[in-house]
Amino acid sequence: MATTTEHEHEHSGGIADHIHPEPQGFIRRYVFSIDHKIIGIQYIITGFVFLMLSGLLAEVIRTQLLHPTGGFVSNDTYNEVYSVHGSAMVWLVIIPLVTGGFGNFVMPLQIGARDVAFPWLNMLSFWMFPLAGLMLFSSFLMGAPVAGWTEYPPMSLQAGPGTSMWCAAIFLIGVSSTLTGINFLVTILRMRAPGMTFTRMPLFVWAQLATAPLSMVATTALAAALAALFMERQFGVPFYDPTKGGSPLLWQHMFWFYSHPAVYIMVLPAFGVISEVLPTFSRKPIFGYKLIAFSSVAIALAGFMVWAHHMFTSGLAPYLQLPFMILTFTIAIPTGVKIFSWVATLWGGKIHFTSAMLFAVGFLALFTLGGITGIFLAAVPFDLHVHGTYFVVAHFHYVLVGGSLMGLFAGTYYWFPKMSGRMMNETLGKLHFWLFFIGFNGTFLPQHWLGILGMPRRVPVYDPQFTSWNQFSSYSSYLMTFGILLFFINLLMSIRTGKKAGANPWGARTLEWQIPSPPHYYNFKHIPTVYGLPYDFSYPLPYSGLDQELTDAPGPASTLAGAH
Amino acid sequence: MAVASLPHGAPDAHHGGVDQLYAETRELRLQGFLLFLVSDVVLFSSFIFAYLYMRSSGQGWPPPGIGRLDVAFAALNSVVLFGSGATMHYALENWKHGHFNRYALLMVATIILGAAFLGGQGYEYTNLIYNEHVTWAGSGVFGASFFTLTGMHGFHVFVGVWYLTILLLQSVQGIYTKDKYFGLTAGTLYWHFVDVIWVVLFSIFYLI
Amino acid sequence: MINFPMLERVFAVVGGIIVGGVAAHALRVDWKTPGLDNAIFKLMLALLALGGVIAMLAGLNVLGNFGKA
Repeated sequence: MATTTEHEHEHSGGIADHIHPEPQGFIRRYVFSIDHKIIGIQYIITGFVFLMLSGLLAEVIRTQLLHPTGGFVSNDTYNEVYSVHGSAMVWLVIIPLVTGGFGNFVMPLQIGARDVAFPWLNMLSFWMFPLAGLMLFSSFLMGAPVAGWTEYPPMSLQAGPGTSMWCAAIFLIGVSSTLTGINFLVTILRMRAPGMTFTRMPLFVWAQLATAPLSMVATTALAAALAALFMERQFGVPFYDPTKGGSPLLWQHMFWFYSHPAVYIMVLPAFGVISEVLPTFSRKPIFGYKLIAFSSVAIALAGFMVWAHHMFTSGLAPYLQLPFMILTFTIAIPTGVKIFSWVATLWGGKIHFTSAMLFAVGFLALFTLGGITGIFLAAVPFDLHVHGTYFVVAHFHYVLVGGSLMGLFAGTYYWFPKMSGRMMNETLGKLHFWLFFIGFNGTFLPQHWLGILGMPRRVPVYDPQFTSWNQFSSYSSYLMTFGILLFFINLLMSIRTGKKAGANPWGARTLEWQIPSPPHYYNFKHIPTVYGLPYDFSYPLPYSGLDQELTDAPGPASTLAGAH
Repeated sequence: MAVASLPHGAPDAHHGGVDQLYAETRELRLQGFLLFLVSDVVLFSSFIFAYLYMRSSGQGWPPPGIGRLDVAFAALNSVVLFGSGATMHYALENWKHGHFNRYALLMVATIILGAAFLGGQGYEYTNLIYNEHVTWAGSGVFGASFFTLTGMHGFHVFVGVWYLTILLLQSVQGIYTKDKYFGLTAGTLYWHFVDVIWVVLFSIFYLI
Repeated sequence: MINFPMLERVFAVVGGIIVGGVAAHALRVDWKTPGLDNAIFKLMLALLALGGVIAMLAGLNVLGNFGKA
């Protein structure tokens, strides 16, 4: 309805022209903001804070394991430490960072939208996050959960009050995650720029599209499991207690029905980051765009059908174990398709090894390794021997740290210039990568054979035969942590003194790079029209309507009368 | 050539001329609300799975020592709730055709029937707890599953009764027009959802 | 004295027939309406009609868990 320039452009009068006035005041701009970019940054800051806290807990674990007789913390404290470490990393670090953090900032820009579908709900979703984190860490004051992040009954029924606090905290972050899933799904389905069909969407958006239904559906199943555990602990309602007719196996089914899709929530957006970073720094179109896009959806769907592979030693009948084993094997197929497509993207390209690219390439190596050990674990006969050992710990750290966390680092180095208008320090970035990469492998590679040799997980003391590799692992972890510290120093430094970045320091082709860094609050002066895939480096940019974005032309006037 | 083009058949978006912004935001709100209902279905489905899992332990249902549920009373109560679904449907129909008084009457009928259902549930709970001595925590998995699921459903009905009351008051205030009444559509969807959940719960607790 | 159990059954059967019939009628009338929300309404009306039928059958003692199998 408002025509602000003489520029020839069709004004639909719809959402694209519905612009709120710019928020005024510190609180409205940076604290209670409904702007997806600010909310995304809030998620990222909070997520990194919890990364530090949870990483500290990890170092408590590794320090305890320097000696076979332990002694750094008491055995009970040790149980609390690894339980909160796992819970925080899954629910307070990785999931919020990949969905609420990078998903929020990048996805609406990449689809040419002005914001997400439900901005106020987005803000609500964010503020549940620090509250849930506070609740989880406060459980240390009342006897933190001790049964691992998986909280199996009967142990979780018998433990101290912190376990109930854990239930409430994870329930809250689960609501946040579910709402974000709904928000993103509606946004991607309905708010893409004109001309952006599904097969012209960037792959990061495909990743968020595949992840959003998981966030929505799977997380609600977890809410039910948590609510039941809470009700049983607080009110004595029997669900899981076998002496009252319940079943511990029921918890395992309900928990893993969520938690297996949860690992795909954690990794699919990281796949999306890789799909953005690799073509940009190979100066080549992504290989197999449709393969990667559809395999994301396939992984998301198949992810719902394999949960019992976490339960092979729980007494399931063999006729149940077999289909889960086979279905788990088949998830390797779409995943492998992606890995091959990414490698083919690199092939013959002009590779620029920026920090983001280093982490992306490192991801390919480490995630593949983690995926292979996953296939080992999918085989029931093998799993029966290594379930509950350090082999499993090694596997999931390879895919979650070598996979998701490296993807997050890559994403940070890649999109930091867009978020802040400044470049991160490349020297520190490369140092971060190498210290982290070497430290990470030193920490977790030996854990594979520690597990096969028989070292169980979640133990504060261990058989002395495992000493030397545990020490090697712990010292390597200190190296890895030092690398992460460099990353945080880099972040904080670069916000203040980083080199000014232009709109498109990497020469990338998706829509977020065609507007200033950082973007205006309204994102685009004019919503562009999209004519093709962004990745075809040999063609001009497939957009029209963007010529005013980097000029001093005034932005669109607010179409709402009065202050908001 | 907007991707978020005018949706087909959105009755409260076409009548009396095109309001592009309203039509587009209505589509967003509709899909968001439907996805919320989907997640609520998943919540109930998870507890229903737990109930069926517990029942599959093979000891017969109801378990030994617990009396059976009053199927006839529950059937009556179900009819009350289903009736409120029918009145809700016609309330919305009347609104769409501009018959405010009939709409208001039918809304009031819906609210009363919904409250009556809750009363019926209260009566059933009282009977179970005090006469049959079947309690939430003290009757094994039977009490756990029955009271948790019907309680969750009852809570949804309770919220629904409040929601419909507020919608009625808002419509009296004139917040909704003949063309723009998405709040009423959402309320109707929610109320039907509550009904449908009860069809499932009634069947799995009382009939099988 | 009013025979409450019998009254309950009568109301359940009669009510089930009425509600089920009304829902089915509404479904037939609105069958051709386009759009996502109308599709959801039609689905819900169909399930409501089913509910009415089930309640009626329960009232007639045709369906129901009557204790130990």
